Amino acid sequence: VCTSRFWFNYRHVANTLSVYRSVKRLGIPDSHIVLMLADDMACNPRNPKPATVFSHKNMELNVYGDDVEVDYRSYEVTVENFLRVLTGRIPPSTPRSKRLLSDDRSNILIYMTGHGGNGFLKFQDSEEITNVELADAFEQMWQKRRYNELLFIIDTCQGASMYERFYSPNIMALASSQVGEDSLSHQPDLAIGVHLMDRYTFYVLEFLEEIHPASQTNMNDLFQVCPKSLCVSTPGHRTDLFQRDPQKVLITDFFGSVRKVEITTETLSLDRDVAGVESKFPEEELATEPLKYAEQLPVAQIIHQKPKQKDWHPPGGFILGLWALIIMVFFKTYGIKHMKHVF
Amino acid sequence: MAAPLVLVVLAAVTVRAALYRSSLAVFIAERVEVATPLNAWKRVVEGLALLDLGVSPYSGAIFHETPLIIYLFHFLIEYAELVFMITDVLTAVALYLAIQDFNKVVFKKQKLLIELDKYAPDVAELIQTPMEMHYIPLKVALFYLLNPYTVMSCVAKSTCAINNSVIAFFILATIKGSAFLSAVFLALATYQSLYPLTLFAPALLYLLQRQFIPIKLKSKSFWLYTMQYASLYLCSLVVIICLSFFLLNSWDFIPSVYGFILSVPDLTPNIGLFWYFFAEMFEHFSLFFVCVFQINVFFYTIPLAIKLKEHPVFFMFVQLAIISIFKSYPTLGDVALYMAFLPVWSHLYRFLRNIFILSCVLIFCSFLFPVLWHLWIYAGSANSNFYYAITLTFNVGQILLISDYFYAFLRREYYLTHGLHLTRQDGTEAMLVLK
Repeated sequence: VCTSRFWFNYRHVANTLSVYRSVKRLGIPDSHIVLMLADDMACNPRNPKPATVFSHKNMELNVYGDDVEVDYRSYEVTVENFLRVLTGRIPPSTPRSKRLLSDDRSNILIYMTGHGGNGFLKFQDSEEITNVELADAFEQMWQKRRYNELLFIIDTCQGASMYERFYSPNIMALASSQVGEDSLSHQPDLAIGVHLMDRYTFYVLEFLEEIHPASQTNMNDLFQVCPKSLCVSTPGHRTDLFQRDPQKVLITDFFGSVRKVEITTETLSLDRDVAGVESKFPEEELATEPLKYAEQLPVAQIIHQKPKQKDWHPPGGFILGLWALIIMVFFKTYGIKHMKHVF
Repeated sequence: MAAPLVLVVLAAVTVRAALYRSSLAVFIAERVEVATPLNAWKRVVEGLALLDLGVSPYSGAIFHETPLIIYLFHFLIEYAELVFMITDVLTAVALYLAIQDFNKVVFKKQKLLIELDKYAPDVAELIQTPMEMHYIPLKVALFYLLNPYTVMSCVAKSTCAINNSVIAFFILATIKGSAFLSAVFLALATYQSLYPLTLFAPALLYLLQRQFIPIKLKSKSFWLYTMQYASLYLCSLVVIICLSFFLLNSWDFIPSVYGFILSVPDLTPNIGLFWYFFAEMFEHFSLFFVCVFQINVFFYTIPLAIKLKEHPVFFMFVQLAIISIFKSYPTLGDVALYMAFLPVWSHLYRFLRNIFILSCVLIFCSFLFPVLWHLWIYAGSANSNFYYAITLTFNVGQILLISDYFYAFLRREYYLTHGLHLTRQDGTEAMLVLK
């Protein structure tokens, strides 16, 4: 979630998009990501490189590529929508891409960035969400069994105040700065004219670039990212509500979509079980010929079939009738004797 | 006379071509004074595009042209500018030939009446001479082609030009005396916009006069000829409508074209009188007032036919003017058509009473139309009342123009038969007034 708009908050959008990019790179599909952005950077008239959002100095990394799917954009990023997404109390007409369809086995990562203060986070320069509201939202999620484990990362000024009030189990929280400290931005880019990223997220991004789906890096390493010497502010974390030891929690549990696949070399015989299974289900279906997959049209042909645009032509009968009438009128006026001039 | 006509035609074509190439073309095409929902070029293009997509163009309320226009423009849409320029030229040439013939008829009739001693002795200065009548056809063609109204209407590519052309051919056919052709062209004109139906009466009167059939209600030959002409006209109309059915295999065009003209559902402002009135009206009165307004157009035929039965061409002129004032979606192109006839009656100049004021009114209103439109729509500091005021003034000016000419014509006829210096019974000078 990026909670700011306007050109000078470029870095918040770049932060969010960098985390989005890392998360997608590690395997989480768009259907499992709810991205809330003001989305006014790439096409902003002040953007000297339109349709791009860069996250490194010297424009090394364009995080606004072809496959960025923003679910809540511009004025839809409100406190109410954010809380509704979290708690699932959404109007029935909301499309699936805008819902958080999680259940009690889901691990959720929530990343928020923007401008904040002691106990609140500013949304779109017009409203705030308080840490109490956030804590209550998480409790609603716990009671509705909408998460298994939740990782909450926040990169704002005085960000640690936002996780002080959590009271639901299985929540781990990280913030970029303590109460009373400001989160600072990384270097500005002189070509674009604004600061491209915040320090904390910059170092988190550097850290995440080294993670791949099979890596065994755990949360303790994430807690070490961005010490005070690099970040000027003191990042904080909170693990007391979390039931597992952070040492044993893999980064990819939250940031990536990693399936536990075991490759086995044993062989299993299924014959007896198959017969047993078949006898349980009598043949009730009609003996229709099953369609072979190969018999369907190739996909390329189906996609590119467009209705042929036929040009309209007046019907032949009409043209014939019209010209017959015209010729009749002509000869009625001027007499048949003129026909000899025609021939 | 061909060379000056060719020169005039060339000048007109140059002016139009120059305007087509300039940036004014887009501006003029959007003006409501020349493009109404009935004959705007944008709608023709839209209808043809709908047809290419496989949808009937009459399905929405966009397209209100007849199927013959669809057929015409289906093949000629890339040459649209050329088509409209040629249409204007054809109209002017048709009017030129028609007025040439008409002048001959007028002169012959005048000679006959002089020999029959029907004229009073002191009206020598009122008699038209061939010398002054020599340039009238050229002036008519000039008035039509170089009239700013016609030029704007042509640049806007409004199909009113095609309607004008058909009416011009109808007038040519009538004056030449061919009943068949005149019935066919009148049927075409009625088929396109309903109102030329009222021109049936003057055409009939002219043809009867030409055949020397006296206009008496008891005369058998009168009724025979009337029936012949009427049946020619109605048959051609029916044939054309049935033929249009075969273009799209549907009768959709009848409510879209004639239903639209008669029931006036679209109240886009134009230079007519319908839009404001019906915008203000309550729903349950609108049917009644639509009927009243439409009857108003057709109604003047009867008294005019009675009064002007000896002068059918003047009747035609007045009728054309009444159509273009009172029709449901008038444009400046319709105004231009009857204004082209004004040189034919230039000998009435000495009897016209209000001509200076009227010409000033018409010119000022023409300039004020775009100004008040801009003030209303773009600046927002005026409202529809302003534009309607100018519309009203323009139409009042037109009506006064027609009634001035009408009065002048009748006055001249009276003077011709009763002499220029009228005296009352006691010998003092009398003044002729229109009661």
